[in-house]
Amino acid sequence: MAGIGFEIRKLLDRDTFLGSFRAYAYAGVIGSGPWILSFLGILLIHLLGRRLGIPTRLITQFQTSVTYVIAFSLIGSGAVTLAFTRYASDRIYENRPERLAPAFLGALVLVIGVGGLAGSAFALLAFPGQSPVYRLLMAMAFTVMNGVWLATSLLSGLKKYLPLVGLFFVGYALVVTVSLSLRRLGLEGLLAGFLLGHFAMLIGMILLILDRFPSPGVALAFDFLRRKNRYPMLLLTGLVYNLAIWADKMYFWFSPILGQPIIGPLRSSLIYDIPIFLSYIATLPGMAVFLVRMETDFVRQYDRFYNAVRGGASLDRIAEAKQDMIDTIRLGILEIAKIQGLGVLFAMMWGPAMLRWLGISQLYLHLLYIDVVAAGLQVVFLGICNVLFYLDKRRKVFALSALLLATNFLFTRASAILGVEFYGYGFAAALLLSVLVGLAILDRDLHDLEFRTFMGQS
Amino acid sequence: MNSLAPANPSNPLPTATSADVALLLEGTYPFVQGGVSSWVHNLILGFPEIRFAAVFLGSKPADYQGIRYSLPKNLVHLEVHYLQNDRERKPTAPSKGDPEVFRDVKAMHDAFLHHPSVMGGMGGTETPGGAHGHGGAHGHESGHEGPAGRGHGGGPHSGGDAFSKAVGHLIHGRLKEEHFLDSRESWEMITAYYRERSTDPSFLDYFWTVRSMHEPVWTLARIARGLIPVRCYHSASTGYAGFLGSLLSRVREKPFILSEHGLYTKERKIDLLHSSWIPDAGRPAAGGAPEGNYIRQLWIRFFEVLGRTAYDSADPIVSLYEGIRRQQVETGAREERTLCVPNGIKLDRFGPLRNMQSIPPKPVFALIGRIVPIKDVKTYIRAMRTVCQRIPGAEGWLVGPGEEDSRYFDECKALAEALGLKDSVRFLGFQDVAKILPQVGVLILSSISEALPLTLLEGFAAGVPAVATDVGSCRQLIEGRQGDEADLAIGAAGRVVDIADSTSLAEAIIGLFTDQEEWTSARTAALARVDRFYSERRMLDSYAAIYQKALGAVGDQG
Repeated sequence: MAGIGFEIRKLLDRDTFLGSFRAYAYAGVIGSGPWILSFLGILLIHLLGRRLGIPTRLITQFQTSVTYVIAFSLIGSGAVTLAFTRYASDRIYENRPERLAPAFLGALVLVIGVGGLAGSAFALLAFPGQSPVYRLLMAMAFTVMNGVWLATSLLSGLKKYLPLVGLFFVGYALVVTVSLSLRRLGLEGLLAGFLLGHFAMLIGMILLILDRFPSPGVALAFDFLRRKNRYPMLLLTGLVYNLAIWADKMYFWFSPILGQPIIGPLRSSLIYDIPIFLSYIATLPGMAVFLVRMETDFVRQYDRFYNAVRGGASLDRIAEAKQDMIDTIRLGILEIAKIQGLGVLFAMMWGPAMLRWLGISQLYLHLLYIDVVAAGLQVVFLGICNVLFYLDKRRKVFALSALLLATNFLFTRASAILGVEFYGYGFAAALLLSVLVGLAILDRDLHDLEFRTFMGQS
Repeated sequence: MNSLAPANPSNPLPTATSADVALLLEGTYPFVQGGVSSWVHNLILGFPEIRFAAVFLGSKPADYQGIRYSLPKNLVHLEVHYLQNDRERKPTAPSKGDPEVFRDVKAMHDAFLHHPSVMGGMGGTETPGGAHGHGGAHGHESGHEGPAGRGHGGGPHSGGDAFSKAVGHLIHGRLKEEHFLDSRESWEMITAYYRERSTDPSFLDYFWTVRSMHEPVWTLARIARGLIPVRCYHSASTGYAGFLGSLLSRVREKPFILSEHGLYTKERKIDLLHSSWIPDAGRPAAGGAPEGNYIRQLWIRFFEVLGRTAYDSADPIVSLYEGIRRQQVETGAREERTLCVPNGIKLDRFGPLRNMQSIPPKPVFALIGRIVPIKDVKTYIRAMRTVCQRIPGAEGWLVGPGEEDSRYFDECKALAEALGLKDSVRFLGFQDVAKILPQVGVLILSSISEALPLTLLEGFAAGVPAVATDVGSCRQLIEGRQGDEADLAIGAAGRVVDIADSTSLAEAIIGLFTDQEEWTSARTAALARVDRFYSERRMLDSYAAIYQKALGAVGDQG
């Protein structure tokens, strides 16, 4: 009998068909959500501290110090955090949860080691006028915060929202009570409270992770550093994304006119910072909606889409699943918009009173309003990046982050030049532009999803 | 027997810049032993004045153990190609397909779909609408074309023109593989056909079936572009080789000869119905019966279409015997292009054996062939139990290699042992048939499928009558060709029994062997028939005429 026929074409198993196509257990960006919670803690200390008669100068010094710790630990750990998130997602996809804890501890050692060294060097050299205790506390706080963000991203990726929020609550309760009870020790006392609370929080997170993901035998693993587990684009995106979020604030801090030196080399811009802090707190309901809609509803639809593809559903069924996914995204963005709209209303109602209470001129009221809008847009931006991560469009998230970084810097600069009534508009405009571009990208990618899923595969 | 590794640089394959006849060989000569390969080998040896090129199409290198024949001197060029694509493709950016090209490709597919003869074997799953009702008239129209007018430009067969156009795009690089794999036009076409036709809901299965069946097409196009100039093409099967022949003949406007031993398309269909890899388990929508599975239908239709393209381009379409020829016509070959050229054997090699035969014959009943399920060796072994009980000293010889399906081989040995035939049924392995035949009383063929088995003819030449199952051309060989008075007048060279019927097989063997008179007349008929109708000389003479016409039809090679 002549012929090879189709014995040459034994179909392989389905995973091979699908090549690089796969579903992600979770995407990365959401890890950077909970940091908004830390503003609540800082603001509480601010308010309660004033009530308790702590000098404003001391409160400002404390507030600025911890803001820097938060901002730079987010930026510094952002790269590792995002890449580690992907590593963890891959392991969950492979159904090997026992690999998580050792890799987490490995990443923690890395983040704490590098962060600790960098933080110590900076604290040691940059604050010649401050006490050794202040420098030590700053170095330790920076080190601990790096670990906190890493653990936060893993836990939020694993959807352990409730324990996570619980840990933040306990941690910040500790921060506030210890700081305030040590207020007689001055700046060092406040910082010690901050450090202690976060240290407790980190220990709690580590214990939670080790408890939920036991890994018999292996203590530490660094395989997330291996080439095949490395995602250079993610490292870069983590860095750029966090820089982009802080670019406007830093611009104001380091502007010779808008910022003022607070402690050592640290500067701040009181007029800019407080409204921003307030508006980030105002995004908490938006973040909650984001978690429910994007991380829960969207992920369910996303899984259904990929199960439809893998499970041999009809093309119509696949298109339906995709439409459901798109609908969830729409609904999520719409609800975030609604909630943030409410936030703007509340800001308008209570904004004047808030500013009075905080001792800020009513001149900056419109800055508060626009910041509430901007912070809401930031939640939407987070949502878009998250969906793009699920669709494995790493380059596009990077491009969006880079766009936000560039526009945030440029527009903020323009707004600062245009004058006080334009403050905040730069940040808002940068986010608006990035959100619109992000939506356009998302629209196109989702429209093309079946085509890209099937065609062009190996 | 040589055993040269195909990719061994110390034994380079013969190459030339031109040749007379290019043989298109799918999964056969010179890498695989068997009936078709021997036939090819003898054909090349039989025409020392013709310079042959051979294009071997294999699945993947690991499936072949090297060249199994010592290549004749006039095989001046040998190309080896593998159709199974194992290379990894990185996901790529979408490519831009030419909408016009895709329109032509779609027209070709529509023509395939609506062609009545292609649909003939589809089990009525297609519903020809009014738009293509005229196809029936076309299919049976017999516009007589000379050999020079074949195929190109599309004859009266629908699809010919569209096919030529699409093939032109393929060969001239306007329809690249990446257009098929990555372009939006391709996606639109695949999804449109899926929506229109697939009765199996799984888009994933549909999509990957379409992908994997089309992938070899671009390899074939590459082969067609690169092949050295020859004066005619000759394929030993339809399938991919036949498709290649039809590509080549259309693009280079050279005659294309098709010789079919078995029916490739039908063999594929049987394989498909038995294949377990087609994902239909546990999916109720896929239909209960294996034929109902759309993915299977898709594959079957694909091979039917490949067959059609070969039939549309080839002239003549040669078969071994009438049964095959009729089925070729039923599946789309034009009657006037078909002809039968039976296999022949070397009488000078097997003829002298008849004088070495022991008469009266020894009670040796041999089955010569590979020990594989298609030969139904088990029925033979079961029949041998009765034969051994009834004929004292009877022996059953199994002459042929058992490595091809070692599990079946072991099962056969176990069966013989279980039936108490350990001493009387002997597994002799591969043997020189010429040494075996003079000792054989009756040759047995218990196959469930055969074409034109040479072993029967070799036995006949050595004076050994046969009992064979009624498959392929066996009845024609034993009783004479229907409608041929001279052949029928020769008489029966043995007996014909039903397949898988060990009782009848045993009775026939016993009857033929114990009735001295019948055995003697069967021997006489066997000798007469093979001498007159089944000599290799006769086969070569027929091909000499075919080649002469093909090589003469177009003046100089180009």
